Amino acid sequence: MKIFQQHTEFDYSWEEVSTSNWRKYGPWNKLSTHVIAVDTLSRAVDPETGILRTERLITCKQSSPKWINSLLGGQDTSLVYETSYVDPTAKKVTMCSMNMTWSDLLNVRETCVYSPSGASPDAKTLFEQRAEITALCGGWQKIKNSIEQFTVERFQQNAAKGREGFEMVLEMSRKVFAEQRELMKLQNESEILKAAKF
Amino acid sequence: MSASLAPECNEVKERYDSCFLKWYSEKFLRGTARSDECDPLFKQYEQCLSKALKAKGIDNMLKEAREDNRENDAEHMRPKR
Repeated sequence: MKIFQQHTEFDYSWEEVSTSNWRKYGPWNKLSTHVIAVDTLSRAVDPETGILRTERLITCKQSSPKWINSLLGGQDTSLVYETSYVDPTAKKVTMCSMNMTWSDLLNVRETCVYSPSGASPDAKTLFEQRAEITALCGGWQKIKNSIEQFTVERFQQNAAKGREGFEMVLEMSRKVFAEQRELMKLQNESEILKAAKF
Repeated sequence: MSASLAPECNEVKERYDSCFLKWYSEKFLRGTARSDECDPLFKQYEQCLSKALKAKGIDNMLKEAREDNRENDAEHMRPKR
């Protein structure tokens, strides 16, 4: 088993980050073109804890090199199963994902957590990512090691890209939200003007 | 918003996603969520999606994934205060 771990901070509040997180792979993110589809399978608020649990299915374009693709079976898309847990009181989003494709040969389990930053909890959000990668194909330790090593390197390469892409979504989200508020303000003001006149 | 893996579900998915996002930011995060007002839209989307998942044989793969995910549920459905 190999482990990939990293953490970083976003200059946005936890509320903004946790909302934009739902649009992370949408059209505002120009760097996530490998994500073809994101489907919600179920969603419910636990009446006892108030935690929102969501199950999603993420469809990705296969981007592994040919030697791995032919070793593992050669499909052109891969599926990821994700469950997320949002605790609005503790201000914590936890996302757990695992690969559904090639799951007999390779086990990738990732956990990401978004929480308010310790230093400035109202303005910044901490992102922590941890992935455990285990190749399962029997026997050949050398092949297992190569597959695990390749997967860890992919995580490393994607970490910066993932951050950059999410920054695009956060920026756009803030802009659109500000515009909406401005529009609502104008509408409200004009209603007040109308009421004052008549 | 992202597309669905089943193109025929895109339209209803889009409507559900917009409903959810509004509910999430305006009600859920502010602690004023009473009922899930997006549920009727979700049911329509789910009906469309489940057909596609069955046709593609993904429903059986999902059963396995759900089974493997039990420990995550046990760990993260508890509130940490």
